[in-house]
Amino acid sequence: MESHQGGSVPTRPLLSVVDDDESVRESLPGLLGEFGFAAQVFSSAEEFLSSGCVGETSCLILDIAMPAMSGPELHQELKRRGQEIPTIFITGHRDETIRVRMLKQGVAAFLLKPFSDADLLAAIKTALQAA
Amino acid sequence: MHLQEKDPAEEVNRLQCCINDLISLLALPAIWSGNEPRQIVHILLDALLRVLRLEFAYARLKDPVTTAPMEVLRVADTCKLTVPLHDFGGMLTSWLEHEGNSSLRAARNRFEEEDISIFPVPLGIQGEIGMVVVGSERADFPSQTESLLLSVAANQASIGLREAELLIEQKRIANELDRRVTERTAELAAANEELKRSEERWRSVFENSAVGVALTDLNGRFIATNPFYQKMLGYTEQELQSLTFLDITHQDDLDHNLLLIAELLAGERQQFQIEKQYRRKDGTSVWVWNNVSIVPGTERVPRFLMALSEDITLRKLSEEALAKARSELTRVARITSLGVLTASIAHEVNQPLSGIITNASTCLRMLSADPPNVDGALETVRRTIRDGNRASDVITRLRALYSKKEPSPECMDLNEATREVTALSSSELQRSGVILRYEFDDDLPAVIGDRVQLQQVILNLLRNAADAMSTIDVRPRELVIRTEHDEENQVRLSVKDTGVGLTPQAAEKIFEAFYTTKTDGMGIGLSISRSIVEAHQGRIWARPNDGPGATFSFAMPCAPEGIADTQSGIHQTDPAKDAA
Repeated sequence: MESHQGGSVPTRPLLSVVDDDESVRESLPGLLGEFGFAAQVFSSAEEFLSSGCVGETSCLILDIAMPAMSGPELHQELKRRGQEIPTIFITGHRDETIRVRMLKQGVAAFLLKPFSDADLLAAIKTALQAA
Repeated sequence: MHLQEKDPAEEVNRLQCCINDLISLLALPAIWSGNEPRQIVHILLDALLRVLRLEFAYARLKDPVTTAPMEVLRVADTCKLTVPLHDFGGMLTSWLEHEGNSSLRAARNRFEEEDISIFPVPLGIQGEIGMVVVGSERADFPSQTESLLLSVAANQASIGLREAELLIEQKRIANELDRRVTERTAELAAANEELKRSEERWRSVFENSAVGVALTDLNGRFIATNPFYQKMLGYTEQELQSLTFLDITHQDDLDHNLLLIAELLAGERQQFQIEKQYRRKDGTSVWVWNNVSIVPGTERVPRFLMALSEDITLRKLSEEALAKARSELTRVARITSLGVLTASIAHEVNQPLSGIITNASTCLRMLSADPPNVDGALETVRRTIRDGNRASDVITRLRALYSKKEPSPECMDLNEATREVTALSSSELQRSGVILRYEFDDDLPAVIGDRVQLQQVILNLLRNAADAMSTIDVRPRELVIRTEHDEENQVRLSVKDTGVGLTPQAAEKIFEAFYTTKTDGMGIGLSISRSIVEAHQGRIWARPNDGPGATFSFAMPCAPEGIADTQSGIHQTDPAKDAA
């Protein structure tokens, strides 16, 4: 599992994972590493925003339901700051209306937990191509 | 003209007679006034015959109306001529064609034994009206005076005939006028009839329509309404004419209605439909579906608004009933145990499950690499086991929550348990604008209880308090969590809010299953909370505050002395274990 400190130049695209759930935070970096990406995990939107990694993140993997700032709220905040990042939403909830709304707002993909590694990889590729 | 030598007395007499005759002739117009031409000629010839003691008087002229030739003959009683009328004309041809005024004496042996003096008298200046020919026995006919009388008579006749002609023309014109007026009147009557019929037809449509029809001026004031509309609203026509449709439209619909009207008047739309409520005269409501359009003006009538109004109250009521039934159904479905359970499990288990799949995928890749990344794979396997355990914990907790099994008790501190709960939900509370205050008893005794379950109870009370305050804007949303060792030697935890409060009746029922005062509440939380607390030998209750809001409390027995010290070892580092 790789992690980048602020200041070093990433040699591989950096993916930031924001999820309040421990299982997700523990498991994703390994898989992302196998895909060939660098990964960074954050347990909250606030943590991500104050991390200094916002500018270097090539793709954001974002949980929807989180205490304090939610995934969609973080997405909006980045937009407002002019720091939009290609985003993949992951969620345990099936909620069509959020899905449609999010897809309309230019979210790259919307994955339902649990998701397969193939689906995740496809979503990341789409997100990075769109960038 | 012969100058007769007579003596003066005879002359005077003769002249006197002439004047008398003149006077008679001058009276003729009065006699024949208003008569037709033929009568005029008759009267003339009779007068001449009498006044001049003629043998005959004949006239030929054109009938001024028909322009057919007309002949009139007057013969004296003493006349011995027996020639019929139609031959007379032929007999006098030469005189009839004569122009001028010179006299001629006829041949004497023309008429049997008599010698007749024949004299022509033209009617009209050039004889254009006709010709009169008179005959007399006297050889010296006509004398000076007789000539005078003849020409005066002829003149009078000419004038009379002209007048008769004019009169006839006048009559003809008057008749023509009459005829045209009659014709026109008949036409108008027919048109009027048709108009009336058309008006009646449309009137009937209006009166008998199965939808309400209302006509208003551009300000919305009612001009005319049909019986259906009046009945629908419970107003009479007169009453409506002093109202505008805005007066009777429900205020919820007013803004939208006004907007549509404005667009209609501005020409931005031809017509609009609106579903809205009217307020009837008796105050009740009726739902209608209105089609409103502008009716263009004519030269007599300015433009106005027309609304076709369909009563949809019945449909609306059944729609509302249906919607209500549906939402009830949804609500009940949501609060059934299965629904709740499924949702909880799905969410809570999803997280570790997702981790398991991710880790396993990673493992697969790592082992498929060349060379295989065995260390990495081992790590993924470890993580997988951790996730599996997490999932398992979730199931256990859920089972505990929804089953009646004995709780798994431990010696615990409610203050600490509370802090853990508020840590999880503080952000949620903050977002709801709730101010959290703690009034913890620092020397709170321990209790024996199932940590997770009691935390569920505390969470439930917090959520309830937050919900009760969610509609409050007029005062701060303050939530006070208080722990104390109460007078009954129980550990009591209270959650006090500044929300909508509680009636005493609600306070009784609120812990019953499925009871809820919230429109989207689940109604299960408090009843389960009660089960949990009672399973801990405790009790739970709610009281309205002295001020706004309510206070929910539960109390349970303190952990017995001695057990607390032993049990607390589980949570602290065990020196025995460390040494090993």
